[in-house]
Order: sequence, then C-alpha cells, then structure tokens
Amino acid sequence: MSALLEIRGLVKRFGGLNAVDGVDLDVEAGEILSVIGPNGAGKTTLFNVTTGLYPPDGGSIVFDGHNLVGLKPNQVCSLGISRTFQTVRLFPNMTVLENAMVGQHCRTRSGVVGAVLRLPHTRAEEQSVRGRARDALSFFGSRLAGYREDQPAMALSYANRRRLEIARAMATAPKLILLDEPTAGMNPKETEEMISLIGKLREERGFTIVVIEHDMRLVKGVSDRVVALDYGRNIAEGTFEQVSTDVRVIEAYLGKGAVKAG
Amino acid sequence: MIGSELLRRAVRAGLIGGVAIVYLALVGMVEKFEARHLVSDWLNLGKLLLALPPLLAGYLATRPRVESGQLVRPARGPAVTAGLVSGVLTGGVAALWLAFVHLFPPGAVRNIFIAVSPKLLDIMTFGRGLAVGVVLWVVVGAGLGALGAAYRTLPERAGRPLSVGLATTLMLALLQRIIPPLLYNLNLDSTWLYSTSFGGLTPVGAVVVFVVATALPALWMVRGQAVRQRVTQLPPARRRVFDVSRLLLLAVVLAVVPRLLGSALSEVLGEIGVYLLMGLGLNIVVGYAGLLDLGYVAFFATGAYLTALFTGAHLVTSLGAVASPSFILHLDFYPAVPLVILLAAFVGLLIGAPVLRLRGDYLAIVTLGFGEIARVLLTSSWLQKFTGGPQGLRDITDAHIGGVGFRDPQPFYYLVLAFCALAVFVSVRLADSRVGRAWSAMREDELAAEAMGISTVKYKLLAFAMGAAVGCLSGTLFAVQIGSLTPDSFTILVSITALAIVVVGGMGSIRGVLVGTVLLIGLPGVLDEFEEYRLLVYGAALIVVMVLRPQGLIPNIRRMRELQEEEVAQDQWLKEEAPAVTVGGGGAS
Repeated sequence: MSALLEIRGLVKRFGGLNAVDGVDLDVEAGEILSVIGPNGAGKTTLFNVTTGLYPPDGGSIVFDGHNLVGLKPNQVCSLGISRTFQTVRLFPNMTVLENAMVGQHCRTRSGVVGAVLRLPHTRAEEQSVRGRARDALSFFGSRLAGYREDQPAMALSYANRRRLEIARAMATAPKLILLDEPTAGMNPKETEEMISLIGKLREERGFTIVVIEHDMRLVKGVSDRVVALDYGRNIAEGTFEQVSTDVRVIEAYLGKGAVKAG
Repeated sequence: MIGSELLRRAVRAGLIGGVAIVYLALVGMVEKFEARHLVSDWLNLGKLLLALPPLLAGYLATRPRVESGQLVRPARGPAVTAGLVSGVLTGGVAALWLAFVHLFPPGAVRNIFIAVSPKLLDIMTFGRGLAVGVVLWVVVGAGLGALGAAYRTLPERAGRPLSVGLATTLMLALLQRIIPPLLYNLNLDSTWLYSTSFGGLTPVGAVVVFVVATALPALWMVRGQAVRQRVTQLPPARRRVFDVSRLLLLAVVLAVVPRLLGSALSEVLGEIGVYLLMGLGLNIVVGYAGLLDLGYVAFFATGAYLTALFTGAHLVTSLGAVASPSFILHLDFYPAVPLVILLAAFVGLLIGAPVLRLRGDYLAIVTLGFGEIARVLLTSSWLQKFTGGPQGLRDITDAHIGGVGFRDPQPFYYLVLAFCALAVFVSVRLADSRVGRAWSAMREDELAAEAMGISTVKYKLLAFAMGAAVGCLSGTLFAVQIGSLTPDSFTILVSITALAIVVVGGMGSIRGVLVGTVLLIGLPGVLDEFEEYRLLVYGAALIVVMVLRPQGLIPNIRRMRELQEEEVAQDQWLKEEAPAVTVGGGGAS
C-alpha cells in the first residue's frame, strides 16, 4: 500500500540557498508525524512547497494519487491538505465564526446568482457551512464558542488565535493537516492542552497530521514517527527515542563535538 | 503641569492649525463662505471655518495614545492646558500673519495673493482693526482650543449626544435652501426656524434644534438598549411586520421627497444617485475585495457609451455632418440595460485579467493607466466611427415608461432610485454570502485565503466584473439624463471622486457609501460656494478622515473603536506572557 503523501527528492532553491535539498518524506494515512530540525533546516519551506505556495525546483509530491507539483494552493486545499502558519495568519477583521466558515469555501459551490437571489439550495448550503464551522469550533470546547463566535479574530488571545487557525484548517474537511509550530508562543499549560488536542484530532476526527515543532515535550507526546531535517536534507527518521538519541540530530542542534563532550 | 510629550503635540497641532487658517484665507474660502449665514447674522460659514482649526487643534493635541501597550488618555486638567496652548498658537499664527500683511501698503500683497482683499482683512480682524484683531485671535483661539480639548474629556454619554446635536444643527443650517420650501409645501410655517432676511437658522430655531437633537440621542442612550431588546424579542412574525413597515416608510419618504423639493433640487438628488451607484460599484472592488482601483471611470464610460450605442444616438463626423455611428442598435432602454451590464462585466474581466498579479500600489498605478486609456480611446480617431471622437455622441434616445421621459429631473430621480435600490440590494446580499466571505478573506490575507482553498484569480476577476456591472449603471443613467456624451465627462477626476466617496464613507460599508455620496456630492450641489472648492474640500476630507477615522465615517464594523482598545489590551497581554514562549530544541539531549 502506498503512503497518503509521498515526497521524493524535493528541491527548493532561493537564489543560491538550497532551502530544501532532496527531501524524501512518506506520510501514512492515520499517523502523526513530527518534522524537527534546527532553525533554517527547511521545515516550513517543505510545507510551503507541499501546499503549493512555492513551486518546487525538483522532485515529486504525490498526495492520494494526485501529483501536487504545479498546483495552486487552493487546488491543493481542495484535494484535502490543509495547514496552519508559523506566524498565525487569520483574517483579523472577520469574526471567529466567519473565519471558520471560510474554511468550508472549497467544499461548497454557490456563486453570485445564488448569493443575490438567496435560492433555496444556497440557503441550505449556508446553513450547513455554519453548522460545520460551529462543529470545528466546538472541538476546542467553550474557548471559541458562544459569544466568542461573533468577536473579530483580532480580539482573540494569542493562544486562541492559534486554536482558531486549527479550527479553520479543520473546516476545510481535509485528509491531511499540516501544523506549523502549533505551540509557538504558548505557555506550558497551553502546550499540555495542545498535546492532548492533537491526539484527539486524530482519534475523534480521523485526520492524518504532520506537525513541525520545536517543543520536544509535544514531539514526544504526540508523534508516531519523527523525521529530522538539517540543511534541507533528511538526517534521521524513526521513533522519538531513536531520533532524539541520533548522533547527527544532536550535532545538528548543538554543533559538532557536542556528543563527545556530553 | 502637562508632560513634555503632550506639550510637544499641543505645539505641533497648534502650528498646523495656524497654517490651516492662513491657507483657508489665502485661497479665498474664508471670504467666500462669509456670505453664507448659518444662524441669523451671528454665525456664518466663514467664521465657522476660522473657528474649526483651533477647535480641531485642541481636539487633536489630546488624542489618546498607545504607550507601552496601554491606551493613555490625558487627564482633564493637562488636556485643557494642552488645548489652551495649541489654541493660542493657532490664533497666534493667524495674528502674526495678519500683522505681517499689514506691514505692506494696502494692495501690495494682493498683487500676489489675490484673495487678500480689504474685505478679507476686515473679516479676519473682526472689523475692529489690527490691534484688537490680534488680541482677539489669541484669546478666542485659546478658548476654542481649550473647548476642543475639553470635549475630548467628556464621558461618552455626554459627548455622543452633544456631537449629534451640533452636527444636526449644522446640517439643518446648511440645508437652508432645502428645508424651507419643503416645509412650505407641507403647509408648515418655517419662519420661526429659518430667518427670512439672512437665510440661516433663527437663533430660537438653532437653540430648539440643538436641544432636541441633543436630547433625543441622550434619551436613546439611556432607553435604547431596552427598546432594541424589545424589538429583537418580538415574535418572528411581528418582527417581520416591524422590518417591512420600516422599509415601507423609507420607500414612501424617498418617493415623496422630489415632489416636495422641486426640480432644481431633484436634479441634485439625481446626481447623488449617479455617484451613489458608482460608489457602490467601486465599494465591491475596493471595499469588499480590497483591490485599489484608480481607473473606475472606465466602467462609468463603458456604461454610458454602450447605453448610447444600444438605444440610439448620433455623432458628428469630421466633416461636420450628423450621422449614425457605425454600430448602432435601437433597442428599448430596458432590454438594453441587461446587455450593457453583461458587456460591462466583460470589460471588467478584460481590465482585471492583466492586473491579477499586482497588489496594492502597483495595482493602483496600473488601473490609473487603464482609466486614462479609456478616455483616450473614446477621443481617438480609431474609434471615432463609434464614439464620435472628441465631439462625442448626441441625441441619445430618452428612456420612457408609458410616455414619461426621464430627461426631467423628477422622473429621472425615480429611475435613479430604482437602480440604486437594486444596487444596494445586490451589495447587501453579496456581502453576507460565500462570495462575500471569500472577498473579505482575500482582502485580509491573500496568502492565507489561497491556502484555505479560495482561488484568488477567480475572485479577483469576479470582483472586477461585479464592480463593473454595478458601476456601469451610473454611466447608463448619466447617458439617459444628459442625452449627449463627450470624453470630457470621463476624466480621472471621476475616478478620484468615486474613491473619495468610498474612503470617506467607510470602505466596505453600504451606509458609509451613502453618507459619503450625500456629503461629497450633495453638499456642493446644494451650496454653490462649495462648488468652487470641491476638489480642495475632497482632499481635506480625505486627509481628515485618514488621520482621524481611517475606517471611514460609518465603518462596516460597528464596534471598531472598542476593538482598537481591545487590541491594545491584547498586545499588553502578549508582552506579559512573552517569557513563556518555548524556544528551540531543548530536548535533543
């Protein structure tokens, strides 16, 4: 059986810099995979190329039988990959509910005529969009529900903005969710909560998840498998224990000689 | 004592206010506006114009500011002191300028600045000679500056009704040509309200209007919440009746207005309607989708010329003969309109396609070019067979319903009203829909919108097409109204006016566009003295709105002010929590 997402020999160059330099990555359906690596290892670039924000300079990306190379971000999204951003990118002046409703965009069809005439099927669609958006928000309990629904996204606390971004990604009804540093800027308590939420995301909603993370508690807590990158290349792969004790990974984080000294 | 920061801002605001007064005097606005009485012969527009800079200076000097994540409002004492300082400076600059002018022999300054007439100097010294004038400027300036600052420190429940009261009184005073005939046609006595000898409000009328207009919002602030709650708690069927009757009332008022106003003012209403349509169309492009279009006149021209060509018109050939254009249909007006809309939407796509990759400033520059291209094309000899070149088209067929032509201002008003109602309806429906959400998302964060599955290519093109479809109606009406078209009517100034309407009113807000149109088109239409300074007033309005209320007069998010404060509070929260950020790779050992 082939993997849900298959990346082979992916290359992305920015000028003279090989941000991603021949990365291979397989994501099996139903797993939680963590991508780790020091700053500048090419993790976010990997996400950006996969979701179509940048075209790759080489290699192949196959998702669920579709070739993703050359597709636009919105096409990648409709195929079933959704993501969050390292720097939260919500729609700040839209309400919390509207932000989540935007996620349903690629799963709905109504256009200008339906909107102006408010045809029966448009109304039914709006109703279901609202319902699914609420459903995604309800994943976070009361944090994004109730009166918060009508607050603009910019009025949310930082942790809630991160949560809303995940809810928005969930609302696109994806098969695969890419989370780019979901706990950056969160305090330890909120990080604990995020660890259990990422687990629930798979158990209750059945998403396959790839997560970029620096916080090793989270990596240890959620991952079935860990892939480590450095200078845009794979340097290690395996369980958290295997990868976190790998000499090359420790060297990538702490510098050459760190292992001997330790 | 006041802090050095507050003092610095007071000095700056005061000096800017002073320069503004000198400028207003030099361009001749003060003298021109002096002739318009607002309240009996006590207050005229010229004096109000002179009073505004010190008032605003005091108001602006005491703006609350963000200081290490907290919104800081100056306390009342320091605020009033700062207002005094800025007012004294504003008055001082004006006084200095007066003294400077008096250094020269009479008439010498006028050789360069023609507005500096003896009458202007008389106005500026309050008719009391230089020495008294200078003292008055400083004293009155200080008072007004302090007033402006004191207004800032009023609590909301006093400040809001007060500003509504002042604005209403001013509006009624400015509408002196409209209200008295209206009351007369209603068989009501207007002599107690409007002074027959001066034109403005009578002192008694002004006081009554001010008291009523202040008391009502004050009452609403106390009782409004309860009333609103009772309306929302009505059973759905009753609430529907309430909503429908409100709409009906509005429709009746709008339908009766031109009968009461007479034809000259109906013409102004027609003009407001034409620009309202343009504003609504541009609002879709700029307000909803966030695409800055400076060449919107292209769609106005498209609508006008296509309507002419579809319903029938003549042109003058280069030999001076009257002929038919090479392409002409003689459709009825009403079947022609959908065709015009469709074709205009197509032109929208054509203009939208090449600029898809551009953002912000670059988009603005390119669309600016497109607007000019449209005008040049209309003038060109290449298209002369169709557009009549510089002479344009004439004898455009009048639209009729049952023998009533629309070239008269009053019937035309109803046609405009129908089109505007349609455009408002479309705008409202679009805003609250999947399409509207996609546009908002694209405007807020194009990249995130794309990652969430929104095809930005499709929705940008759709915005241009819908904007063109709505905006072209203004051209259609324009062609029907005046019956002849020349390229001179389609200059860049049209684009700028439409943009000013949308920005001043509030981008993305339909009520904002309405208010913007009434202020920017209606006011110059009703008061001749504004006409001469139309563009100056637009420019000033744009600057003032951008500085004081960047979200526009009536923003599309009602709670904007609270939000700004909430955001500040959020950032404060972030700062406190920042040490908790977990940074890189601690667990790799």
